[in-house]
Amino acid sequence: MNGEPRRGFFPALEPYGRGMLTVSELHTLYYEQSGNPAGKPVVVLHGGPGGGSDAKHRRFFDPSVYRIILFDQRGCGRSTPHASLDHNTTWDLVADLERLRVHLGVEQWQLFGGSWGSTLALAYAQTHPERVTEMILRGIFMLRADELRWFYQDGANAMFPEAWEGFIEPIPPDERGDLVAAYHRRLTSDDPQVVLRAARAWTTWETTTSFLLPNPASIEAAKTERFAIAFARIECHYFVNRGFFARDGQLLQDIERIRHIPATIIQGRYDIVCPMLSAWDLHKAWPEANFVLVPDAGHSAYEPGILDQLILATEGHHPR
Amino acid sequence: MGASNGLYPEIEPFQSGKLRVSRRHEIYWEQSGNPEGKPVVFLHGGPGGGTEPKHRRFFDPRRYRIILFDQRGCGRSTPHASIAENTTWDLVDDLERLRIHLGVERWQLFGGSWGSTLALAYAQSHPHRVTEMILRGIFTFAQDEMDWFYFSGTRFLFPDSYDEFLAGIPEDERGDLIGAYHQRLVGPHPRMRELAAKAWSRWECSVASLIQDRDLVAHCDDAGFTLAFARIECHYFVNRGFMEPSTQLLDGMDKIQHIPGVIVHGRYDVICPPRNAWRLHKAWPKSELQFVETAGHSANEPGIMSALVSATNRFRLRPS
Repeated sequence: MNGEPRRGFFPALEPYGRGMLTVSELHTLYYEQSGNPAGKPVVVLHGGPGGGSDAKHRRFFDPSVYRIILFDQRGCGRSTPHASLDHNTTWDLVADLERLRVHLGVEQWQLFGGSWGSTLALAYAQTHPERVTEMILRGIFMLRADELRWFYQDGANAMFPEAWEGFIEPIPPDERGDLVAAYHRRLTSDDPQVVLRAARAWTTWETTTSFLLPNPASIEAAKTERFAIAFARIECHYFVNRGFFARDGQLLQDIERIRHIPATIIQGRYDIVCPMLSAWDLHKAWPEANFVLVPDAGHSAYEPGILDQLILATEGHHPR
Repeated sequence: MGASNGLYPEIEPFQSGKLRVSRRHEIYWEQSGNPEGKPVVFLHGGPGGGTEPKHRRFFDPRRYRIILFDQRGCGRSTPHASIAENTTWDLVDDLERLRIHLGVERWQLFGGSWGSTLALAYAQSHPHRVTEMILRGIFTFAQDEMDWFYFSGTRFLFPDSYDEFLAGIPEDERGDLIGAYHQRLVGPHPRMRELAAKAWSRWECSVASLIQDRDLVAHCDDAGFTLAFARIECHYFVNRGFMEPSTQLLDGMDKIQHIPGVIVHGRYDVICPPRNAWRLHKAWPKSELQFVETAGHSANEPGIMSALVSATNRFRLRPS
C-alpha cells in the first residue's frame, strides 16, 4: 500500500517433535512443536472449527524466537476420530488446550488465531486469563446470531450472488428459510453421498468468499473429500449449537476478564466471511488492544496485507 | 483483464444551454464530441449528483455525440437543491423533452448507480427511443437494495463509517434513520441542514471506492454539492424512488428485452451490492454482465472505468 514491501512467511521448517494426546475416551489430538524448544511458547488456533492445522501455520513465527505449537482440534486434521461431532464443543476444546499446555509443560503461552481461531482464543483466554501472555487475533468471529445470519442467510450472498447459487443449490426452496439447519440435516445424514455433496457446497461457499481476489486453487483444494467433510460437519455442528455459548454475544460481554492481556486485532476491510463489524465491536469493547485494519484484504490469513500484519505482530512491532 | 482503457482526452462542449422543463425547473445540458455522431446521453448518479466534465470522457469523441445534463435541482440546473416537482417520472419526462429539443431520434443510455435506475425507468417508459444501455453499479430501488445500504448490509463492512453516519441522529430517532435525516435536510435550520447534508454525503463517499478515495471524500465535504446531493437523494429515498411496487423496474424488464447492453459492477461495491447486478442480468438475458473484481462502486475505479470505455467503444459503430 505505501510502497514498502510486505513481509512474507518465514522459511518452511519441520517440527522437532510430534505426538498424539488422548483428551477423552473418544478423542485423540495431533500436536507438533517447531522452532526453538527453549523459545517463547505460542499456540496456533486454527479456523473452522474443523479446518485443521497446516504446515504453513508454523511460518508466521521467527523459529529462533518462538516455540511454535500447532494442534488439530477435535475431529479434524490428523486428530481422531475424523469428523466426529460427539463430545465436540467449544468448552471441550478449551479444556483440551489446558490439557495440551500441561502436557507440554508450558506455563503461559501466546494465542494466535484467526476466524474461529479468534473465537476459541477469546473463549480460552476468558476461561484461563492467567495462562495467556499475548493474543494475536485475525478476522474476528464471535459466533453471534447476526454474524451467522450475515454469512449463511442474508448478507454475504449480496456480495457473491453467483457463488451463493452454488451454496443454496443442494437445499430445496422450502428449506431455505434456515439454511444452517437444512445443511445440518444433510451433513449428519447416513447417506455418504448426501454428506459429501453438502460438505463440498458448504466448503466452497466459504473458500470462494475468503479472498479479495478469486483464488481457484484454494477453492479446488478445499473440495478434497477428507477436508470438506470434517470442515463442513464440524462447523455446521458448532453453528446450529450457537457455539455452545450460554448467551449470544458472550465473548464480547465477558471482555473485562482479558482487557489486561496485550493483544492485536487484525482485520481485512473486505472480509466477507467475518465482516468487520465484529472486529469493530471488539475494538470498541477492548480499546487497549491494537487494532489494525487492512484496507485491501479479505478474510484469509494468506492475503498479502494480512500476512504482513500478522508477522509484524508476532515480531512484536505493534505497540504494546 | 485485457488491455486497460483510460478515459478519452479532455474535451469542451460544442454547445450548451438550459431547457425549461416546468414552471419551476430549468435544466442545464451540453453536447460534446461529434455533432453528427451516435447520440448518447449520460445519466448521472445521486439523484442529485450532477454532471462533471470528466463524464464526457467515457466516449470516443469522433464517434459519439455526447449529451450531458444536470437532473432537476442539481449541478447547474435551477432552482438548486429543489425537491418540489422532483420525481423519477419527472426526470423521465425531462429526458423526452431534452431528446426532442435536441432533435435526437434514438440514443444510447449510459448511467451508473442512480443513473442506472433512471436509465431503466426511461427505457421502460420509452423502449423504442433507446439503442443500447451501458449500466454500472446497478440500483433498481428494490426494497432490499435500500435496506442494504442504510440498515442491514453496508454497516457490517464499514461499521466505522456507519457509526459516523449514526452519530448525527439521536438514538431514539434511529429507528427511522432516513426519516430522521429527511426531517433535518428539509427543515428550516440552515446549520442543521448543512450538518445533515455532510453526514449523509460522507457516508456514501467514504464507502464508494475499494480503497478510500480522499479526493472523493473531500468533494463530499463541499457545501454546495452536498446540499443538493443529500436533499435530493433523501427525498427520493423517503419516497422509495416513486416506484410502485419497489420491484417495479425488475418486473418491467419484459418491456425492454430487445435492447442490447452491458452491465459493469464492482465486486466490492458495498453501496449497491453485486446481487443488484446479478438480478438485473437474469431479468435481462441480452445483457452482458461484467464483475470487476478489484473495484467498489465508483465510476472512478480504474477497472470500472476501463470496462465502461470498452463498452462504449464496442457500440460506437453500431447504427442508432
